[in-house]
Amino acid sequence: MILAGLAAVVSAASPTPAPIPGAGIFQSSYLLSISIWVPVVVAVVIAMMPNPRGRYDTVIKQIAFFTNLGLMFVLFIAYNQFQAFLPNIQYEEKVPWLPAIGAVYHLGVDGPGIVMLVLSGLIGIISVLASIGIRERVRSYFALLLLAQACVTGAIAAHDLFVLVLFWSAAIVPIALLVLGWGGPRREAAAWRFAAYWGAGSVVLMLAVMGIYVASGASSFDMDVVLKSALGSRAQVIVGLAVIIAAATRLPLFPFHGWARDLYAEAPLGVIVLVGATGTRLGAYLMLRVLVAAEPDGARLLSPLIAALAAVTVAYGAIAAMRSRDLRHAGAYLALVPGGVTAFGLAALTPLSITGSVLALFTGGMASALIASIFTTVSDRAQTRSVALLSGIAPRMPKLAWLTVLAALGLLGVPMMASFTAEMMTFFGAFKTQPVGAFAVAAGLALTAVAVAVVVQRVLFGAPNPEAPAVSDASLGETWYLALLAGSLLWVGLVPGGPKLPGTDTPLFDPGLMNVMVADVPEIAAPYTGTGP
Amino acid sequence: MKYTTLVPEAMVVAAGVALLLSSRFRAAQHRRLRTRLPAIAAIVLLVAFGIELYAGANVGSYFGGGLVQDRLALFAKAAGLLAAAAAIALADWPSEESPTLALAMTMFALFGLMVTASAGDVIGVWAGLELAGAAGVGVLAVRRPDLGLRLLLLGAAGSAMTLIGLAYVYATAGTADLLGIRQVLVGAAPTLPLALPVLLLLGALAFRAAMSPAQVAAGPILPPASPLSTGLVVGLVASSALVAAVKIAAALSPVSGVYSTYLEVVAAIAMVGGGAAALAVRTPRARIAFLAAGQAGWVLAGLATHDRGGIGSGVFLLGAFVLAATAGPAALGASGLAEMAIAGMGTLRPHRAAALTLALLSLAGVPPLAGFFGEFAVGAALAQSGHFELLALGLLGTVLSSVAALGTLRALYLQNPVDEARRGGAVLPAWTRLSAGAAIGLCIVIAGYGLLASPILALADQSAEGLGLK
Repeated sequence: MILAGLAAVVSAASPTPAPIPGAGIFQSSYLLSISIWVPVVVAVVIAMMPNPRGRYDTVIKQIAFFTNLGLMFVLFIAYNQFQAFLPNIQYEEKVPWLPAIGAVYHLGVDGPGIVMLVLSGLIGIISVLASIGIRERVRSYFALLLLAQACVTGAIAAHDLFVLVLFWSAAIVPIALLVLGWGGPRREAAAWRFAAYWGAGSVVLMLAVMGIYVASGASSFDMDVVLKSALGSRAQVIVGLAVIIAAATRLPLFPFHGWARDLYAEAPLGVIVLVGATGTRLGAYLMLRVLVAAEPDGARLLSPLIAALAAVTVAYGAIAAMRSRDLRHAGAYLALVPGGVTAFGLAALTPLSITGSVLALFTGGMASALIASIFTTVSDRAQTRSVALLSGIAPRMPKLAWLTVLAALGLLGVPMMASFTAEMMTFFGAFKTQPVGAFAVAAGLALTAVAVAVVVQRVLFGAPNPEAPAVSDASLGETWYLALLAGSLLWVGLVPGGPKLPGTDTPLFDPGLMNVMVADVPEIAAPYTGTGP
Repeated sequence: MKYTTLVPEAMVVAAGVALLLSSRFRAAQHRRLRTRLPAIAAIVLLVAFGIELYAGANVGSYFGGGLVQDRLALFAKAAGLLAAAAAIALADWPSEESPTLALAMTMFALFGLMVTASAGDVIGVWAGLELAGAAGVGVLAVRRPDLGLRLLLLGAAGSAMTLIGLAYVYATAGTADLLGIRQVLVGAAPTLPLALPVLLLLGALAFRAAMSPAQVAAGPILPPASPLSTGLVVGLVASSALVAAVKIAAALSPVSGVYSTYLEVVAAIAMVGGGAAALAVRTPRARIAFLAAGQAGWVLAGLATHDRGGIGSGVFLLGAFVLAATAGPAALGASGLAEMAIAGMGTLRPHRAAALTLALLSLAGVPPLAGFFGEFAVGAALAQSGHFELLALGLLGTVLSSVAALGTLRALYLQNPVDEARRGGAVLPAWTRLSAGAAIGLCIVIAGYGLLASPILALADQSAEGLGLK
């Protein structure tokens, strides 16, 4: 029934633009620039604010929070006014930047893009809430956090490969500094490893971009030009390989995941949320935008490789989590799983699996951030990271116990969670073209279920350990940020097509994530329609 | 009116001579005048910068073609004037032992860069290089005569190689005029007798451009050259060599086959080696010097394309290089001799720390700063000319440089300030309104370079076009 409903929602996309609720309330030619540059300006202002002996720490946190709240408001209106049935990019901004080499300040979003932007806006708020506990060098922390958010938003909105590389690479410095400055005991190793992997990924992306630039022969970095030019199959495969490696360092996919365990285990909570939910999803977004949507021959030839990487990642994440003695490490390994599912949907190259992957950008980001951050919060509140010591703590931290269970369900994709919808679409689409891969990923998910059950049972519901340190439940700030992450998964899972007025088809206040995200997906999936056995 | 274009040069030389002479008079010892000299010098340079932008657009040649005012001259002179003004305003003057001499030498080094940029023949190129190098020796020798001697010897070796190379090129082409050399070499066969002096010449220029770490960072005990002199050597002297390399590469482009591989190897070594060395050292000043050497490698990589796009991009990057490499060490002040000495500088000297941060990140090629835009433009040119291996090595160097820069940023912002005893004798630079203003100005220029990239790159492209490249 649910699948039939989903199929109806997807197929309901009509070429006639429907009246969009909220249209005309907010019109700005620079909406995307506002969402990128306002955090940068606020970050600079915060960095320059005098703050003797931390007197204005609270004010700085409030500035960061309300900046993100304001941006979310702007992005929500943008999402609401998005013309869901137009297959072209919207909120477009185009200004010549480096005409001599063909670089343009070109921003714009389509359906997947606006979904990512909404995710970025939501995560902006949640990451600030998760950072409420920061006490040291508050000014620097929030300035860097805002800069990192701006970089992620910029990479999402980029419609020029030069702009994409700029924001993609720029995110490394603020995030690495955040880990170095506010991370756990092994923060140095985590930060350097993170910088090395993401830096290497940026190098490979730059090579891919230059490859496209040269192979297209267009002397332009504008995605409208270079990604629509027909590259030869050989060029597509070479560029595609580079894109896969660049994306795999971010998502991350095995064997390019080396940074993830240390970063999720050592970074401050706000950074875990930001990186887990949006920073890493940029990898899948890159693969969707530059490989799947632009290089069909390359994508077809390389799809088995992507599927294999995805399957190994899911299985590896599950097995490593099961074997882990450290709760934070277990959370980090489990956070790899949604990325594998997202990549697998892209590898399957069917309209339904690609649609599932686009939804998984949102749900997988939320689920990864939730599982990694909740295990960190539990270990903080339990004063130990040792799975051997932690046992039967659910009665003493009921709020965290409930949220952990919700996180586990969200990760596994059980019905009513948004990840269920995404995973179902991915698998139903993928069984046609990647049956072996689908079986392998499904087996990996079964292993994940076992891993989650083992960890959750041991930590939350096992026999209480009298030698364990004293535990306390989540604070109000922690409850809020975790509840927002879990609530988003539930919200989209319960009403993927958006809430309607009872008894009518009139949207209550938004056109629904499913309706919005499928804008442009048929275009992306067009080269693959009809393929398969 | 024809000679209005040369007013900036005249102002710089006059200021340099006046400063040199004033050190002989009692007036210069007057405390109020001493404290205001840097501000006066910076203002003179900014006025000269304004005149250069206004009058420098008029293309012309002077003194029988010995000096030419083309787009490259305009670009390099403007960048040099701005960088020198920023460095002078940012320098920690209490830690400079002879302010008048240091200011005078800065003016002469800048004049050397301007002469190199305006040179119409190989003699002018050589004279400009020597002038800049001699000024570097002078300013280093004020504090450490042994360092000055080392720089003199290294510079002399480079100078001899340059002179031999230029002499052979002159003998081969039969003319000293750069455009004339280019015209003569069109259609010439790339022979071994031609290749040897060319390799010698370019090797000498690369040596001069990237040898700054050897002067300011090498040795068992880090040489305590003053911050301003470090910036002068790392930035202005190296930029003179790079400008000379641009001119020579343009003149020799018809026989690019004789030095193409060599230039690629040198560029690759500088890019990767600079990044790796920057990662290996812990001293902030040495790190800046190695980062600068890495970015100098990118400029050389632009020359390795042998076309207008690549050389224009290299010139575009040169603008970012001269700013960050000259002003960065000055922003660091005397505290750049140990990482511990700059701990907490972000809290105690926020303006300087911000300027230093942007200079470091720009030299490392981190977006969205000036260096990134230049390196990206060079990267695009390398890709278009098929030099993907050089591009990959350059990007590797950039990653190494970025990680190295992160290490210094950690000390600046994430470590708590330490007491004076643990700073190893180095004191943080003094706060003055001049240095704070200059730091803010430098931040705006380095961050705004990318915003104004279109006209700047267009000017750089015209520079390459003016050199006869297609």
